[in-house]
Amino acid sequence: MSARFVVGDRVTAPGLDGSGHTRLPGYLRDRRGIVIALRGSVPLADDRAEGAASPRIEALYTVAFEGRDVWGDACEPGVSVHADLWDSYLEKTT
Amino acid sequence: MSGVHDVGGKPGYGVIEREANEPPFHHEWELRVFALNRTLLAAGVYNLDEFRRAVERLPEEVYERASYYERWLLAIEELLRKKSALKALP
Repeated sequence: MSARFVVGDRVTAPGLDGSGHTRLPGYLRDRRGIVIALRGSVPLADDRAEGAASPRIEALYTVAFEGRDVWGDACEPGVSVHADLWDSYLEKTT
Repeated sequence: MSGVHDVGGKPGYGVIEREANEPPFHHEWELRVFALNRTLLAAGVYNLDEFRRAVERLPEEVYERASYYERWLLAIEELLRKKSALKALP
C-alpha cells in the first residue's frame, strides 16, 4: 500500500467507533498534528489483534501533536506528544 | 469507542504516584507471569496485539480492580482458553 502522507503534512485521526483494537489513544481523536517521520510499512495492529492470517500492511507515521492542542491550558507550554499511527487512521487536514 | 483501558487524559484518576526505587516485580508471581507471556509470545501461541486486545477486553469492573500483572494473567488465561491451548488434567 502506498503512503498517502509525507513529512510536514497536517493530519487528523478521527478514530473508528466500535470495540476493535486500535493504537490511537482516545485523547488524540480528532486532534490535529503534523507528520514528522515515515516509519516504513508495518502490519496493522488492529488486524493482528484479531489473529488475522494476513493483516493489512500500511505505511506508519510518527505524528506530533502540541500538548496544548490536546489538553488545553492544563498542559504546560512546549510539550509535544508523538504517536505512531497508521495510514488508515489519518486524514489530511488544514 | 473508548475502552476502560484508554484512560489517558480522563479526569478523576488523580495524580500518578511514583514509587521510589520501584522494583520491576513486586512479587515473584509477577515475574512468572512476565516470563510466561514472553514464552507464549515466542512460541507463537498469540501475538502481542492479541495480548493487548485481551487485556483491553477484560470486563470493566475486573480491569479496574486488577493490578497490572493480574490483568496480564487474566488476559493470558482468556487467550489460552480461546485458542483451546489448555487441557484439563485427569
